Amino acid sequence: MDNLNKNNDIYEDPRKIIASALVELGGSDKRITFISCDSSKGASGDPFRQKFPDRHFEFGIAEQSSMGTAAGMATTGKIPFITAYTPFITMRCFEQIRDDVCKTNLNVNIIGNNCGLSVSTLGPTHTVLEDAAILRALPNMTIISPADGPEYREAIFAAARIDGPVCIRAHRQKAKRLNKENYKINVGRGVILKRGKDVTIISNSTMVSKSLEAAEILESLGINAEVINMHTLKPIDRDIIVESSEKTKRVVTVEEHSTIGGLGSSVADVLIKNNPVKLEMIGIDDTFAIVGKYDELLDYYGLTPEKISKRIKNFVNN
Amino acid sequence: MGKLNNKEIKELIEKSYNCRVNILKMMKKGEGHIGGAFSALDIMTVLYNKILQHDPGRPKWDDRDRFILSAGHKCLALYAVLADQGYFNQDILWTYNTLNTKVQMHPDEKMLPGIEFPTGSLGHGLPVANGIALSARLDRKDYKVFVILGDGESAEGSIWEAAMSAAHHKLDNLVVIVDRNGLQVNGRTKDIMDSSAFEDKFASFGWEVRTINGHNFSEIYQALSDVPFKEKKPSCIIADTIKCKGLTFAENKFEFHHWHCEPDKIDDAIDIVEAVKRKELAQVG
Repeated sequence: MDNLNKNNDIYEDPRKIIASALVELGGSDKRITFISCDSSKGASGDPFRQKFPDRHFEFGIAEQSSMGTAAGMATTGKIPFITAYTPFITMRCFEQIRDDVCKTNLNVNIIGNNCGLSVSTLGPTHTVLEDAAILRALPNMTIISPADGPEYREAIFAAARIDGPVCIRAHRQKAKRLNKENYKINVGRGVILKRGKDVTIISNSTMVSKSLEAAEILESLGINAEVINMHTLKPIDRDIIVESSEKTKRVVTVEEHSTIGGLGSSVADVLIKNNPVKLEMIGIDDTFAIVGKYDELLDYYGLTPEKISKRIKNFVNN
Repeated sequence: MGKLNNKEIKELIEKSYNCRVNILKMMKKGEGHIGGAFSALDIMTVLYNKILQHDPGRPKWDDRDRFILSAGHKCLALYAVLADQGYFNQDILWTYNTLNTKVQMHPDEKMLPGIEFPTGSLGHGLPVANGIALSARLDRKDYKVFVILGDGESAEGSIWEAAMSAAHHKLDNLVVIVDRNGLQVNGRTKDIMDSSAFEDKFASFGWEVRTINGHNFSEIYQALSDVPFKEKKPSCIIADTIKCKGLTFAENKFEFHHWHCEPDKIDDAIDIVEAVKRKELAQVG
C-alpha cells in the first residue's frame, strides 16, 4: 500500500515524538500551554517546559483540579495540553472531563500516558483497559490512539486544531514505523494499510503493527486479510467499516484494551446498525491485568501476531 | 475605594431585596434552591453593582472580571442579578421550571449571556477559576476572578487541591468568597462534615483571609474593595450568612436548602421579604 513505510526497521519512542511535536507546536502558537500533574519528566513535557517556561504549569499530583484548571484556561483562548498516567488523567478526574471540558466543548487536550499494558509490571492500578470505554460515552470527545511515530506527531497537531476536547492515548512501548514521514492524519477516517478480501482486521495503537504481521501469517495460510488502522476511536469511521465488511463479510477487531466498550464495541455498534456480519473481538476480556513483562503479557492475553492470526484463522474457517 | 454612603447602601438593599422578590416570583412554578440563593444574594449584589469590571452589553469582553458561582445551585440569585444588570430580558426569569428553560436549576453558560462557566456538580469552580487567573497573568491582563463557594461544598477534595495550587502559583488576582451559611441539604454543616475554622484552613493553605458579615453591605464592599489583601497571595473572604436570609420563616432552616413551595404561599412570602426590606432600609436611616 502507498500509505506504508517501506523501511519498517524504525522504532520510535512515542514520548519523544510527542515532546518534540509539542515544542514545535508551542513555537508556532503562543496559545499552547502545558499542564503537568507531576508528569512532565515522564510524559513529554520537559522539553516544552525548558523552551516555554511561562506556558508550563505544574500542579502536582492533583488531576481533578488540574483538569478544571485546564478548562478555565481554555475559556480564555488558551490551548492546554494536560497529561498524566492514563488511569489518573481519565478516571480520577472523569467528572471534570465531563462537566468542565466536554459539556463546555473546550479545546482541552488530554494526553493519557502509558495506556493499555504499557507499564505492565506496575499492576492493575497503573495498567488501564477501560479508558477508551468511559471516554467514548462523552459527547464532544475525540479519541485518538496513534499507531506509530508520524501518527503520534500528527495527533498532537490535530488535537490543537480541533476546537473541542481530544484525548490522545499514548503508549510507552516504542512504536514500529508504519507510515511515511510526511503522513497526514485525517481524524475520524480510518486508513487501509493492506487490502484483502477474506476478512477485515480493524485495530489501533500497538495492535496495528501486530495485525499487519498477523495478516502476513494469514496470507501464508491462504487467507487474504484487509487491515485497517482505526486511529480515531471517536468519531468512528462508519463508512470504512461498512465498505470493507460488505466486501469481506467478516470483521475482527484487535485492541490492547478491554473488549467491553472499546474499539470492538465501537465497530460492533456500526455493524449491528448497518451490516450485521460476523464479528470477532480480540482484546482483554473483562479482567484486571496480571503483572509481568510487556511481551509476556501480550502473549498471555493472545495479542501476539501468532496468536492473533491463529484466532482469525479459526474465525474465518468456522 | 472609599466607604459606601447611606444612599449607596439603600440602593444595594433595594436591588438585593428586589432580586429576592423576583426569585420568589420564579418559584411560583415550583421548587428551587432558595436557601443558598438568599444567603449569597447580598454578596452577588455588591459584586455586580460595585466591584466587577463588566459590561452587560459585551458579556465576552476580554478584560472583564470573571465571576464563577462554584456552588451552582445558588444560581437563582445569579439569574436575578444578571437580569437586573441587563444581561438578558427579565421575562426569561418567568420561564423557570418550564420545559427547556434557559434558567435551569444549575447555570449553563450556553443558555444565557453573563454565565461564565457551567456549574452544578460541587467542587468544580475554584479549579476553573485558577485556570482563568493563570491566563490573566500570562496575558498580562489586570482582570480578577471571583468565586463563591458554599461551606457544604467545601468538603469536596478538589476545592483543597485548588486552594493549594492557587497559593503555590501566587494567584493574587483570585478571590474566593465562602458563603458560610452553616447549613446544607441534610442539616447543619457542623454535624455533617465540620468545616468550622475555615479561616485557619485557608490561611494554612497559603491564603490571606478575612471574615465578614455576609449581609452587611459595607463590610462586603470593604472586603471586596481591598483585594488582594496581600501581594502574591490569593484572597479568601469568609462571609457569615443566614440561609434563606430575608424570608424570615425560612431563615436558618436547612429544609429551605431546596424549597418545594406551594404556589399560593408565594404572595405571602413576597410580603415578608418586602417587609424585611423596609426594615433594613429604615435601619440605614
